[in-house]
Amino acid sequence: MDDDQSAEETAFVVDEVSSIVKESLEAVIGRNPYEHKRVNQWVSSVVEQSLGQLSKLSKPFKYIVTCIIMQKNGAGLQSASSCFWDNTTDGSCSVRWENKHLYCIVSVFGLAI
Amino acid sequence: YLKYKHKEEASLMPGPCLSYDCIEGIIGGVDYSQNKVNQWTASIVEHTLTQLVKQGKPFKYIVNCAVMQKSGAGLHTANSCYWDTTTDGSCTVRWENRTMYCVVSVFAVAIAL
Repeated sequence: MDDDQSAEETAFVVDEVSSIVKESLEAVIGRNPYEHKRVNQWVSSVVEQSLGQLSKLSKPFKYIVTCIIMQKNGAGLQSASSCFWDNTTDGSCSVRWENKHLYCIVSVFGLAI
Repeated sequence: YLKYKHKEEASLMPGPCLSYDCIEGIIGGVDYSQNKVNQWTASIVEHTLTQLVKQGKPFKYIVNCAVMQKSGAGLHTANSCYWDTTTDGSCTVRWENRTMYCVVSVFAVAIAL
């Protein structure tokens, strides 16, 4: 029992990270339409809020959070990542989110210290 | 057709010129193609990562690439990192041609030796 608990405390748990990101997106953007003047603020808030919540988990990780917001108007968007790390301890999670007016892709990378 | 050169000086990071050349080599003279974009983003991240690893420095790397069709839509990206600011670093390269935008971010996290 103790071993499982400590493994959980030091592992990158995708579901946990995913829900933190979704909460930040709902809180910051929610149902708002794409607004050129506010988008800058939104991307910054989403990454900062997500990072804040992640660091509160107090796990032995360094984190990198990236966020892309794109207006819906028919354009195609493709995003890819490649990582050189320790497969046994490090992890990542990508969340694809949208509302009626915009798409958002948030990626979180956790690197074990 | 337009090309932006965004060469930033970064003492820690080998990133900028490396990423720029990788992008140029893979999508330099071509138009956005929905069928091929998948391949392109994968090639750009893999190629960049391989070149970085060849440098043999004590870093873990994350390479992120987004390609967007030019159609008037707005696009915003942001990154936030929770790490050791004395040893870790990142660099982002923005590139475009007549039909698409490409943004590549490289993150380097120091490995404790």
